[in-house]
Amino acid sequence: MAKEFSYLNFNRNKEYSYIGKSLKRTDILDKVTGRGKFTADLKFSNMLYGKLIRSTEAHARIIKIDTSEAEKLPGVRAIITAKDVPSIKYGLSPARYDETIFCIDKVRYYGDKIGAICAVDEETLYKALKLIKVEYEVLPAVFTPAEAAKEGAPQIFEEYPGNINTEIHLEFGDVEKAKKEAYYIRTDRLQGQRTVHGFIEPHCSIAYWEGKRVTIHSAHQSAHYLQHHIARIFNMKEGDVRVILPYIGAGFGGKLDVSGLDVAAVALSKITGQPVKMFFDLEEVWYNGRARHGMDMKYTTGVTKEGKILFVESEIILDGGAYTGLGVASSYYAGALLTVLYDFDNYRFDAYRYVTNLPPCGAQRGHGQPHPRYAFESHLDHIAEDLGIDPIDIRLLNARRANTVTPNGYEVKAYYLKEANEMARDVSGWKEKKGKLPKGRGIGVGNGGFVTGAGYCMYRTDLPHSIAMIKVYDDGTHAVVYTNAVDIGQGSDTVLTQMAAQAMGYPYEDITICTRDTDLSTLDFGAYASRQTLMAGWAVKRAGEDVKRKILAQAAEMLKVKEDGGYRFGKLTPEELECEEGIVYVKQEPAVNITFAEVARAYFVKHGVLIGRGYYHPGKLGGTHKGAAVGTSPAYSSATQIAEVEVDMETGLTKVVGTWDVHDSGFVVNPQLLHGQVHGAFSMGIGETIWEKVIFDEKGRVLNGNFAEYRLPTALDMPYVESLVVDTFEPNGPWGVKEVGEGATTPTLGCVANAVYDAIGVRISELPLTPEKIWRALKEAEGAKEKGGK
Amino acid sequence: MYLPDFEYFTPNSVEEACRLLSQYGSKAVAIAGGTDILVKMKKEVMAPEVLVSIGHLSELKKIEYVPGKGVVIGAGVTHNEVMNSKILHEKYLSVSEAAHQMANNQVRNLGTIGGNICNAVPSADMPPILIALDTTVKIVGAKGERTMPLENVFKGPNQTVLENDELITEFVIPDGNFTGSTYIKFGLRASGALAVVGVAASVQMEGDIVKDARIVLGAVSPVPVRAKEAENFLRGKKAGEELFAEAGVIASGECRPISDIRGSAEYRRDMVRVFTRRALLKAVNEGHV
Ligand SMILES: Cc1cc2nc3c(=O)[nH]c(=O)nc-3n(C[C@H](O)[C@H](O)[C@H](O)COP(=O)(O)OP(=O)(O)OC[C@H]3O[C@@H](n4cnc5c(N)ncnc54)[C@H](O)[C@@H]3O)c2cc1C
Repeated sequence: MAKEFSYLNFNRNKEYSYIGKSLKRTDILDKVTGRGKFTADLKFSNMLYGKLIRSTEAHARIIKIDTSEAEKLPGVRAIITAKDVPSIKYGLSPARYDETIFCIDKVRYYGDKIGAICAVDEETLYKALKLIKVEYEVLPAVFTPAEAAKEGAPQIFEEYPGNINTEIHLEFGDVEKAKKEAYYIRTDRLQGQRTVHGFIEPHCSIAYWEGKRVTIHSAHQSAHYLQHHIARIFNMKEGDVRVILPYIGAGFGGKLDVSGLDVAAVALSKITGQPVKMFFDLEEVWYNGRARHGMDMKYTTGVTKEGKILFVESEIILDGGAYTGLGVASSYYAGALLTVLYDFDNYRFDAYRYVTNLPPCGAQRGHGQPHPRYAFESHLDHIAEDLGIDPIDIRLLNARRANTVTPNGYEVKAYYLKEANEMARDVSGWKEKKGKLPKGRGIGVGNGGFVTGAGYCMYRTDLPHSIAMIKVYDDGTHAVVYTNAVDIGQGSDTVLTQMAAQAMGYPYEDITICTRDTDLSTLDFGAYASRQTLMAGWAVKRAGEDVKRKILAQAAEMLKVKEDGGYRFGKLTPEELECEEGIVYVKQEPAVNITFAEVARAYFVKHGVLIGRGYYHPGKLGGTHKGAAVGTSPAYSSATQIAEVEVDMETGLTKVVGTWDVHDSGFVVNPQLLHGQVHGAFSMGIGETIWEKVIFDEKGRVLNGNFAEYRLPTALDMPYVESLVVDTFEPNGPWGVKEVGEGATTPTLGCVANAVYDAIGVRISELPLTPEKIWRALKEAEGAKEKGGK
Repeated sequence: MYLPDFEYFTPNSVEEACRLLSQYGSKAVAIAGGTDILVKMKKEVMAPEVLVSIGHLSELKKIEYVPGKGVVIGAGVTHNEVMNSKILHEKYLSVSEAAHQMANNQVRNLGTIGGNICNAVPSADMPPILIALDTTVKIVGAKGERTMPLENVFKGPNQTVLENDELITEFVIPDGNFTGSTYIKFGLRASGALAVVGVAASVQMEGDIVKDARIVLGAVSPVPVRAKEAENFLRGKKAGEELFAEAGVIASGECRPISDIRGSAEYRRDMVRVFTRRALLKAVNEGHV
């Protein structure tokens, strides 16, 4: 039996020196002055400029690639295609490695990688690109899962008959039995669209060789995975691949795959013997894809008279695009975490991920979650409405509680979704507003949450998930934290430095962090699955405590305290000492103290360099069913969001006027960074609910591959945002931390869609809720009413 | 994307600019703020061999009021200058407001009113309000100059009546009898979105009788168009919400929208109806806004 223990209100009376505070970001000056270097800013002597040669057909056999004219152009240094590189298959889901460096025989989407070219400057490069001629035998293409599923549909891969790339059938409990017991059963079907991440920095990669070793500078979210895959693809030792990640202009999941740029840069620099910079123009980022899957989601739920969920049956169809990438995980994630949010025993989850002739989809903030959350939160509102229950009440009734285990095997420790719902209800004025707003104005609620780091590495390994090292300078006046945690803008460098300072008892201002370099720093799997604060945090905390342990042992030999009027010397034990903010003192008599720096110097003289080490491995997690690993995590966040909208009933234009987020994020290391994540999540989620969608023409070409026609919300579109936390403590996190970065996007689509429904009284079953769609839905509803009246 | 090669001239006067344009013929085009043309060149929609800069010419940069003539706006005036002009705030705040609704701050800092007209895209924001105020343009070329109503400048998408060596030098909003005017842009987000529909309206009121009115529609025809039937319908009638709603219905029948990724023809047509009504109400009730 789970032990009854509350992790609520844990931190209320705790005061730390360096955590729980909005300390200044470590990268603030670099970012605001423009001094910080991103990959595209880097230049090396003799550097060549390269681009991918991309397909201009969605599905075709390559008959001939004629590079002769381009090769004649002065300044062109190398042109390579599949025949010049290893033909090994790669990807991110080991079960489905299906991408090759360049297309062999066949292209599978408009923009697919046919080859690469490099030249002495960009001007020559662009001219040469136009001279390359590819002859195709065009094959019929499929652009939707429905087309892909048709009998006789063109087959995109031999290994995926029927174009089914991933198929999932899971059942927990007994759904059929629960169906018989349900008081009310309802089915809803909703669609989520294909989006892009919207980061500002396009991918870029620079590679050069020194002897047998290659160095890659890349805009990537994980130094380790890039190193691992490059080594695998080129049949090298991992130790011969050095990855350096400069500052990164955000990732959101889109810089986790090995991009064609990384691989091509390595290959081209090998051939030319010169550094090669490969880069995407903004539009090419849309073709690289790897963003949110379009999903078609059907939920059937049975409840008691009071609204308690008895079972959920779901079927999700994913538009995967041309390759797998992270798509297997996306498919499992689409169903995995519903059971964390709501407590019910009987669950069936079926999913089909189809390959289509469009850019491949992958992970985007909240990986696999936001669409299913949108669909289920909409569905739940309808059930509540049908039963005459307030939407928040039905969520309170079903919210999972702390110290429980989900039917699919996840152990949930601290979990205070119920409290988050109550708090959000109270601060948003829900009770005064719900059902009482004028027509055209509405309020909606949505729940969500996420894993705090994935329980397992993406490939099979027994490596720890994070390693950290802290080195103190010889004279004790500075310390450096080493970890390959990746700050992609979310602020992990800052948070980890704060944690190091706290664990060591050493000033934050005197610590720098050395990250994102596989030669200089230490293993971490990188920025994905909201893992840095907890996982790298554990490693850093332990490394800091290791330093402190050594400092206290050394100090015990140096400090003396009064005893019976005299002094005793060297007889203190480390346990009698404490170190805070750079001062080591005797706990019983704080006036007796010595600086950390003095102690560190003495340690150095006696033992050599002062180093602390820490590592983290989450251990074995989860059940034994197929796919059980996806969704496992040491800790789960939860969040409730409420949105208030105003819809122009004539034009269909939605204005989000107010938003509230209450997060159960465990202990908050840096409140300002947390609120920043919440603001960003609202911006992303509101954009996906109202505006964003990647649009293709009948050839599979992107029609809105720019920020003018792919509309992210601007500052002027942002509503009032209130971001609050439930004060909780996660026993599996260092100092009790959990995630916020991705979880905060998962409730937004549902809560805004529910608010729009509340405002206009019509459910639009497909995102985004553009003005024209709302206008059309209102017209149709009007028409239906008139017809009904006659 | 990479800018193709081109030669670049910075003439000292409009006259010299026209001479250069005439000399290089179809190889040359003028560049003011460059916010349209550089995008097209990068996308390789066009590849002029010669660019003749006019954005720096001070003779194109004035905004002044000439009694008896009207408000004169140089073609090289930027949108932010239009937006912040005291003269326009006093006379035609509606023109400043139209500029304010354009693009974003960066583009408004560079983009010019002349460029916005001469680029001649159907969704451009400045033509409707300027046409609604009966604006005329002065055109200067290597062979001389001419003036014409702005309304007659547009021939089709990206096409104007200007000869290759001609430049627009100024816009004149004549002293007129309009008592109110406004432009409503309907874009799909609060900033940085092109118009799905733009409606400008100007009215001349006598008491509560509409003596005269202009309704100009943007983004719903190959060129900005006046809804003349709706204008005729309004003349001499008593202002009111119902009247304007009817005018909206008539105007929506006068436009020829297309469907594109920003909206269907059907939707645009209905938005013309809605925004014509709203624009008329605003112009009648609030003056030049
Ligand atoms: C991000 C972005 C957002 C935008 N948003 C909007 C918007 O919301 N609404 C809108 O209407 N437009 C918008 N635009 C388009 C553009 O900014 C405007 O049309 C602007 O006014 C163009 O002026 P310019 O001086 O930059 O023109 P340029 O690019 O310099 O010139 C455009 C064309 O006009 C010609 N030309 C310029 N001046 C003259 C002249 N005096 N006589 C004869 N020919 C001339 C040039 O030869 C060229 O063919 C946007 C553009 C961008 C890049």
